[in-house]
Amino acid sequence: MTTADTRPGATASATAPPVLRLTGIDKRYGGVHALRGVDFELARGEVHALVGENGAGKSTLIKIVSGAETPDAGRIEINGETLATGSTTSALGAGIATVYQEPQLFGELTVAENVFIGRERRRAGIVQRGRQHEEVVSLLERMGLDAAVADVRVADLSVAEQQLVSIAKAFASQPRILILDEPSAILTDREIETLFAAVRGMCDSGVAVIYISHRLDELAQITDRVTVLRDGQVVASRPTRELSVRAVAELMVGHKLETGQVNRTVADAEPALAASGLGRQDVFADVNLAVRPGEVVALYGLVGSGAASIARALYGIDPADSGAVRINGRDVALKSPADAVRHGITMLPANRKVQGVFSSKSIAFNISSAHLRLLSRARLWVNRGRERSVAQDFIKRIAIKAPGPATLVGNLSGGNQQKVVLARQLVERPRILLLEEPTQGVDVGAKDEIHRIIVDLADAGSAVLVVSSDLPEVLQLADRVLVVRAGRIAASFDRGARQADVLAAAAGDDGSGRASAAGRDSTTEVGAA
Amino acid sequence: MTGLVQTVPLRRRRPIARAVEGQELALVVVIAALWLALSFGTSTFLTGSNLRNILFAVAATAIIGIGMTPVIVTGGIDVSVGSMAAVVMVVVAKLVRDAGAPAPLAVLVAVALGLALGCVNGLLVSLGGIHPIIVTFGTLNVFRFVALRIFENKQVAGVPDTLGWFGGGQAGLGLLGVPHAWWLAMVLAALTWCYMRYWATGRHWYAIGNDADAARLAGIHVRQRIVSAYALTGFFVGLAACVLVGSGGLVQQNAGTGLELQVIAAVVIGGTSILGGRGTVLGTLLGALLVGTVTSAITLLGWPSELTELFIGAFILVAVGVDLVRERRRRAR
Amino acid sequence: MTTRTAEPEQLKDDKTEPVAVGARIARALRFVLSERVALLSVLLVIVVVWFWYLGRNDYLVAPYDADYLASALETMVPLCLLGLAEFIVIVSGRGGIDLSVGSIVSLSGMAFGFMVGQWGWPVLPALALTILVGGVLGAANGLLVAYLGFPALIATLATYYAYGSLALVSNDRAPISTRPIQDLHSLTRPLDLPVVPDLPAQMLTFLVPCVLVVWLVINRSTYGRKLYAIGTNDVAARFANLDVRQTRFRAYVASGLLSGVVAVVTVAQFASARPDAGSVGNGMALPAITIAVLGGVAITGGLGRVAGVVIAALLIIWLNAGILLAFEGSDGSQFQLLALGAVLVLSALLNAITLRRRGGVR
Repeated sequence: MTTADTRPGATASATAPPVLRLTGIDKRYGGVHALRGVDFELARGEVHALVGENGAGKSTLIKIVSGAETPDAGRIEINGETLATGSTTSALGAGIATVYQEPQLFGELTVAENVFIGRERRRAGIVQRGRQHEEVVSLLERMGLDAAVADVRVADLSVAEQQLVSIAKAFASQPRILILDEPSAILTDREIETLFAAVRGMCDSGVAVIYISHRLDELAQITDRVTVLRDGQVVASRPTRELSVRAVAELMVGHKLETGQVNRTVADAEPALAASGLGRQDVFADVNLAVRPGEVVALYGLVGSGAASIARALYGIDPADSGAVRINGRDVALKSPADAVRHGITMLPANRKVQGVFSSKSIAFNISSAHLRLLSRARLWVNRGRERSVAQDFIKRIAIKAPGPATLVGNLSGGNQQKVVLARQLVERPRILLLEEPTQGVDVGAKDEIHRIIVDLADAGSAVLVVSSDLPEVLQLADRVLVVRAGRIAASFDRGARQADVLAAAAGDDGSGRASAAGRDSTTEVGAA
Repeated sequence: MTGLVQTVPLRRRRPIARAVEGQELALVVVIAALWLALSFGTSTFLTGSNLRNILFAVAATAIIGIGMTPVIVTGGIDVSVGSMAAVVMVVVAKLVRDAGAPAPLAVLVAVALGLALGCVNGLLVSLGGIHPIIVTFGTLNVFRFVALRIFENKQVAGVPDTLGWFGGGQAGLGLLGVPHAWWLAMVLAALTWCYMRYWATGRHWYAIGNDADAARLAGIHVRQRIVSAYALTGFFVGLAACVLVGSGGLVQQNAGTGLELQVIAAVVIGGTSILGGRGTVLGTLLGALLVGTVTSAITLLGWPSELTELFIGAFILVAVGVDLVRERRRRAR
Repeated sequence: MTTRTAEPEQLKDDKTEPVAVGARIARALRFVLSERVALLSVLLVIVVVWFWYLGRNDYLVAPYDADYLASALETMVPLCLLGLAEFIVIVSGRGGIDLSVGSIVSLSGMAFGFMVGQWGWPVLPALALTILVGGVLGAANGLLVAYLGFPALIATLATYYAYGSLALVSNDRAPISTRPIQDLHSLTRPLDLPVVPDLPAQMLTFLVPCVLVVWLVINRSTYGRKLYAIGTNDVAARFANLDVRQTRFRAYVASGLLSGVVAVVTVAQFASARPDAGSVGNGMALPAITIAVLGGVAITGGLGRVAGVVIAALLIIWLNAGILLAFEGSDGSQFQLLALGAVLVLSALLNAITLRRRGGVR
């Protein structure tokens, strides 16, 4: 099944053994077969891209290499020697450094201190600040960063700068293998150029880099080789120069049957929700969109594209600071969730655990929490009978697998927790429903059921706006897909669009990089590669 | 926004400025202004004996505060220090009065006992996995019980001034007429300041307060560092108890009650964040000094002494409020 | 991380098939160990039976009988009410705590003293106004914590100092114990009740109504729902369109109102409005927080029950009453401190262990 060609890495000499070789890596989580016999080779001095859709198995593979997870089967070899799996210390000892998306830094310590935390240069217990300073300065200079930040507190840096610092920290540990997990998602173009220069510098000195990214346009700039994962399997591993962005996108999505494609028609009507020129400084700008009653519109974008922020602005959590929103033709100001709810907007947040559930509380509590006024007597006392019957009703209606309304939500599976949060949005049928990643971390069965609930709701006349980075989901659900890139709506597709086209549009499909990407909204340009 | 990539120098805090935090500078200015105003407003403020009194009065609070600072920096708190001080005080007082122990022995016993009690707190917090405020509320009661048992229902009267070197009397005056107790506080502050700034293990306290989980991943011995912070507090409580017993005379059964809140007030006014991760002992020393100045000023101005606490409350709110505004502005960037 | 406390109920629902006796005992034990109200109730029974047994066999200096237990309830009123006040602010989450309750008791007590004792106002309006004063003082805490974002520990430490100072300054440190104030003592006389032993009047006039109101508000009102919601997860509460700040603000107001009630009771009990009523000894906040935590209120917010706090207060009061009889002189009051501290730490330790066993994060 692996189409990995027999030639060694693009830039490595034919004789050198791979720095890292994975053979037959297999991993299951409960019923989910996350990795199915993955083989992977990393040559000395190469930058090797690992791409795949959400859930393809990239992060599981990375966790196994960095020792955070133990594989069920398979072998990891470093320079031909077998590495003990499932141990972060042995991985670190073998020279594997990982930079995760969330910077693991200490805000009150300086950049230099952060770079050396836990392995300070000391003499008699005293940190040799001078020595650390020199090393960090030379490191930052090598990376093309401003060396003056060496003694600045990390809390005084922007998130993007912190990301660069955590990469510098990984560089400083002089790894043989460096894993970068979507390092560019929050960086600006200039910062990305700096990052690329630094990565190239490292490779020249023999370090091998695994580079995970959703931005396919970057691959040609920085990587030598691309390995594509789909459904836990390697579907291709080829030199980057042999692949176009379009080709990679095709490989990622494969030629799956379009499952459960619904054929809906939406009556022409005045939009229930219309935004024009909506913007929020440094996040998104000039967003125009309209959702009609009964219509499902999707905002599709990669991590950091700003799609989620648009939904949050419409719900008033992080309000927009420019532009206008019209609801049923009337101008409205959405400055807080209370404003949004007053105009019939509800929102299913993305991060179930942090933004969604009250996990130590019952299903009934969770559902009723947003409708205390409706489920009360005299607005003062909770009508517990109605609360229970509403919860019981939802348990039956949307098939929440739980013994009863008193069950604690923390004891439910992810899919059922998500249904509970969704039920909260449905108690009073919303005129406008915003959904952010409605099926993230949800098993397949529950996912289908949630999709059905969403479509039913639209059929009943609600306007639905889905924000998702799950492409098949977007295409299956949405009557219209708006692709968000770099905070702007870059393209629009009607029902029936091909996955690869949408993905290419979101990933910035043109050979010249991302600079010219923003602002296009025609579908004709997309797919030219 | 993209400062890290630019090559022009940053308009950020210079490394030199970092040695003294903004809050500390502000405190120095406030204290200096108060002293200036008081030296004009009263005839007695800027006299040697008054300044001596101020310095001695806040010495014990300052010394305990120096230990409390790392505890709060790691994200914890210790409300048991008042009871802990009572235990050490009664033991030391009885030791010098009944057993006639010499000063070195008394000091040794005091710090050893304080260290042991601090370790109890530290172990319960780090190994027991209990929230620090609950642990120390519990030990506050238990330590007070221990102290009262040792008191045996009588205050300890007629304590000789064996520890007079620490005390507020003539024997306690040191260089420049400044009480030894205050010199001690300054030396301890200087040592702790250096430790927390230059030693790797000292820096780790800050890392733990910022993000304990990330600190563990970075290979920091989190539990050991937390125990060490509470143990250090106990050690300093032992020394502070010597100061409090120093002048001899009377040790009452309610010794040390309410001390914990005074100490926390000094630490917080000194700019240490109660949420952990930030703060210096220099600030704590200045915070204690500010509290002492206000107390003295109110007496000298002939205002009701009860107003002192009103001012302490106000200073706490101002100090933390300024910090909140600064943090918010930083985050908005 | 603190989300698992009520799990056993859930386990019970799942299994209804007959199980072996041993397993049933094991499950009952697990239930008692992890369900705070059950644990406290068992402890309460053990304590009362144990001291009753000691009393019967002349180990105590006086009989530990129903009359004694009833009279001991006198000290329970302030402890339990302030325990409930702390319960409400701790449940509100984000490090909620109120160190200022003792000072609010002192200051609003002095206000009561002035109104009744100096200005000769009738008792009932003065009483209502005193509780209102408590509420206003609590509102200042709420403003600082909920709207201005001060850490609760800091804000209430500051107001602890400020209110305490104002209470002392208000009448130049002197208590107010004029005739009308002394007459208030009748509010706290023992009631002559049929069947049950004579209870202190404030039990029925202040404690029971307050506990009922708090229970109703916490368990039955929409406000109670909001309070638990913001304490459990205030980000999710914001997404669910709950007014997080207003809800948290009101928790501190409630704490102030309850402190105002305690102020009235304390003035009546001592027949004197004392400016240091709330700050003698360890003050009132520390024991109240201890009671709340002992009652199963998670310091991280969102978890805790009214019944737990009430039973915890009852347990400590009757334990203390027994200890007082078991020792001569002031030894009793000393062992009370040991008991309070040990019970607090051990129950927290037990919580931590049971949480860890069941794979809790902490």
